[in-house]
Amino acid sequence: MRNSTIRNSLLSAASILALLLVWKLMAVYWNQELIMPAPETTLVTMWQVIQADNFWQSVGYTLGRGLLGFVISCAIGVVAGFAAGFSPPVMWLLQPWVTVIRTIPVMSVIILAIIWFRTDIVPIFVTFLMIFPIIYSNVLSGIKNIDKQLLEMAHMYRVKPRRIMTELYFPAILPYLMAGAANAMGITWKVIIAAEILSQPRFAIGTNLMIAKIDLETARVFAWTAVAIAISFILEYGLNVLEKRLKKWG
Amino acid sequence: MTFRLRDIDITFGDLPVLKQLSMDMDEHQLICILGPSGSGKTTLLNLISGSLEPDRGQIEGFEGKSISFLFQETRLLRWKTVEDNIDFVLKDRLSKTERVEIINRYIEMVGLKEFRRYYPDQLSGGMKQRVAIARAFAFPSDILLMDEPFKGLDLQLKNSLMQAFANVWLTDKRSVFFVTHDLDEALLLGEEIFVLTPSPGKVKGVITNAIPYKERNLNSDPLRSIKDRLYQLITAP
Repeated sequence: MRNSTIRNSLLSAASILALLLVWKLMAVYWNQELIMPAPETTLVTMWQVIQADNFWQSVGYTLGRGLLGFVISCAIGVVAGFAAGFSPPVMWLLQPWVTVIRTIPVMSVIILAIIWFRTDIVPIFVTFLMIFPIIYSNVLSGIKNIDKQLLEMAHMYRVKPRRIMTELYFPAILPYLMAGAANAMGITWKVIIAAEILSQPRFAIGTNLMIAKIDLETARVFAWTAVAIAISFILEYGLNVLEKRLKKWG
Repeated sequence: MTFRLRDIDITFGDLPVLKQLSMDMDEHQLICILGPSGSGKTTLLNLISGSLEPDRGQIEGFEGKSISFLFQETRLLRWKTVEDNIDFVLKDRLSKTERVEIINRYIEMVGLKEFRRYYPDQLSGGMKQRVAIARAFAFPSDILLMDEPFKGLDLQLKNSLMQAFANVWLTDKRSVFFVTHDLDEALLLGEEIFVLTPSPGKVKGVITNAIPYKERNLNSDPLRSIKDRLYQLITAP
């Protein structure tokens, strides 16, 4: 057990090392910072980026938009998923909307949102449209797959509906919800930054990426990308911790 | 007679499930309903629990009675421990101190004291069924309905569970309605054994088994003679 954990960590470390090596080899091969900056150049640039005046503000705003979009989408997705799970008419009413939302190209949404909303709101709106369907359908399938025999047992023992909801439905749906949330969290960062690149809010990781690109500073593009990846990792870890907490609740 | 079913008819679609079924039963007895599959045993339990209404006939003695259940599946909440699973059905009815006392008592009776904080996934199938037995008895009920709770278990496990069940029941005699298709289960647990006909179900006969539980052994002569009578009743035209 322990041995295999150590072995797995070693494998992951080796894989990261290989990635850096390939990166370095490509940088050496092209020998043009504009196309492929070397890992060490990126690291230095990243240090500069972090020290710049607008770094924490940009990260903070992007993070705020991401979390706001994520929380709003989760909340509405859970409520809508429950409503649809308990009432087939609601499900059939929502179905066309969800299907349309799910199939709209991200770029169309971003462009329309730029036309309609303030630049600050665009990323949040886009995030909502991208992840609401995921949360909604996961909650819905959680409710549809609930163990009917457990429900029957709870009803036969005349457990109060409110407790059936909090002690039976919620814990049973939690794995579906968390799987959806983990999936949605990954998408959120990709979508938020894409929307920021096009809508250019004053403080944003996406805006910085776009400026770096316009300035032809590829190393800075890499550095901001690395920052985005790091944030994504931290949040996914946070989500895991939250899931463990929630599991105890049922 | 405290419980009475009189001329019950029930049909699902075109299929008559119970026809002219009548039963008279006393309180605090372990009543066994023995019948082949399709004889409407589960339907009979649903009529008793009130989740089904008969097409015709009277059902008396069950009004306002509180009922607990033992199913073939254990139906435990995976995310709750042994004690919390029992607490789940008690919480709306009893105070915290009463619950703790009752939960402890029944967990001990089914021999799971050390496992009270375990989750169902950490228990064997037999242990889970013991938790379900503890839950059924911990629930403040007048009646206990059992729908083939020992079906599909291996012989040794089945015997130890029936033993555990009988031990709890002897200290706490609820009115039990125990449905089974297994002759040996009926002989080991039943006090009154009602034999049903194949579909549509009606009562073919009743056999009383007055042998004390401690002396019930499938190889003993008294139980054998009851088994012969049961067998004759089942195979009679």
